[in-house]
Amino acid sequence: MVKFLKALKSIRLAIALIAYLAVSGLLATLVPQGREDAFYFGAYPKILAEIVVQTGFSRFFSSILFMLPAFAFFANLLACTVDRFLKQLRAKGKRRHGPDMLHLGLLLLVVGSVLSFSGRQEGGVSLAVGDGVELPDGRVIKLTAFEYLKYDDGRPKDWISTVSVLKGEKAEIEGFSIRVNHPLKLGGLSIYQVSHSVERVLALRDPEGKERLVGQGEEIEAAGERLFFMAVEEASGKFVLRATDAAGKATVAKVLAGESAGRFSVVALRDIDLTGLEAVRDPGYPLVLAALVLVALGVCLTFIQKLGDMNP
Amino acid sequence: MSYLPTIAFVLILASAALQAFFLFARRGAEERISSWLLCAAALLLVVVAVARSIEMAFPALTGTFESLVFYAAAVCLICFGYRLQRKLPFLPLVQFGATIAAAALLAIANSPIAPKELLAPIPALRSGWLALHVAFSFVGEAFFVASFAASLAFLATKDEARKLAYDRITYTAIAIGYPVFTAGALVFGAIWAQRAWGRWWSWDPKETWALVTWLIYSLYLHLRFIRRRKDSLPSVVAVVGFLCTLFTFFGVNYLLSGLHSYG
Repeated sequence: MVKFLKALKSIRLAIALIAYLAVSGLLATLVPQGREDAFYFGAYPKILAEIVVQTGFSRFFSSILFMLPAFAFFANLLACTVDRFLKQLRAKGKRRHGPDMLHLGLLLLVVGSVLSFSGRQEGGVSLAVGDGVELPDGRVIKLTAFEYLKYDDGRPKDWISTVSVLKGEKAEIEGFSIRVNHPLKLGGLSIYQVSHSVERVLALRDPEGKERLVGQGEEIEAAGERLFFMAVEEASGKFVLRATDAAGKATVAKVLAGESAGRFSVVALRDIDLTGLEAVRDPGYPLVLAALVLVALGVCLTFIQKLGDMNP
Repeated sequence: MSYLPTIAFVLILASAALQAFFLFARRGAEERISSWLLCAAALLLVVVAVARSIEMAFPALTGTFESLVFYAAAVCLICFGYRLQRKLPFLPLVQFGATIAAAALLAIANSPIAPKELLAPIPALRSGWLALHVAFSFVGEAFFVASFAASLAFLATKDEARKLAYDRITYTAIAIGYPVFTAGALVFGAIWAQRAWGRWWSWDPKETWALVTWLIYSLYLHLRFIRRRKDSLPSVVAVVGFLCTLFTFFGVNYLLSGLHSYG
């Protein structure tokens, strides 16, 4: 046991593991990660593809090739940290806790990473102005405005989704602007601006006189009647619609703007902006952040003291 | 304004030529003009960076050209700073090596592979954390340039006294560069990625290479400070570490694709 512990806290083991993680991590960047097996057999000679697929190198950072040495590194670091810390406590004269802080930060970083990668939840949604979506905690986030800002040369400058958050009937947050690099925090959930797209939709007036928007492949219902937007006919530019009346009788019509299908009348084809929002819950991030601060402080403290010596 | 990087490049070359003359033709003689030439070049590059920042209303660190200008300026300033201080002699061969590196960086900045067009940043890059991430990373790497030059000099010489001096420059440069690089590449980078994409780590090739670089310099520090190795091995590791920084910057940009494909 004593021998095992001695081996576990050995600096040689630390050096060997750091070298292995560095070299293997570097090699992993040269092989595209996470592709289907067929990709590797198409891109590499059979023997090499076989090695990449069978050893798990195609998903290196979640494979045993990485996880096992990473776990060994964690155990080695833990043993070194405890051993070093105890020695420092016993030491007479100047104590050096910079490396302890750094190592503790790295240990927390590993724990935070495991929490982060295993407990992370995310989900994306595309919303048009007026749309809303229910969050897992029952709150509803509603898009009240969307702006796509461009530079003079046409490149994107910003996407701004203005949202309201409703809890029951009550507005909890109003007019919050979600932008790239400026997420909305809601308890443990963060809502990010991730994309923007334009969707071509058909504007219709329903039997109740309200204007409705329907995307291709979507169906809307009003006053017991349904309308399904099937396609746009390329040659004539007509909209192919299937109207189903209250009795369930369906008719397919090819119409232009101003004409009707069932009791729905077609207004026009419109382009609408859709904002892409992503909700992320990452239980490991607070720990990761604390770990990174500890690492930064530990590194600085270590080298301020080290450089003070000037003769290590 | 577009001619300033070229003037800075000429000043660096003039500094290198002067250093080479005193290094190889007039051994032992001391000169200070080359350091002031580097200082002048750095100031010109700072003017370029500030002017571009004002024009794009954001710190000019978001493109390859701007990054190279900043990186070269940092290397020149570090060379000049080393010459100003008296505590640690910065040997002429190390200064010469670092000057050549600065010239090479500016040569690439002035070449067609680094577009000089002033482009305001895309939404993901419009973050103060990004500016800190890039600036700290390059300042850290500028110290690694000094350590690289000193390591090469260490490996090239057989004179034990000189080896000791080169070793001292290597470890002090890494001891300063490592915390700065850690803060920039890893800490600020992770915070920025979390703010921008909600994912602080993605195993993107550039992230992985930055981590590998950090691991290699960690290896150096363990070999040099814990194992107290003073043979060639730490210097070899320092050279490999610097080559990794180069691949992280250029290789990943031009050979691998990922989240950092813009710069």
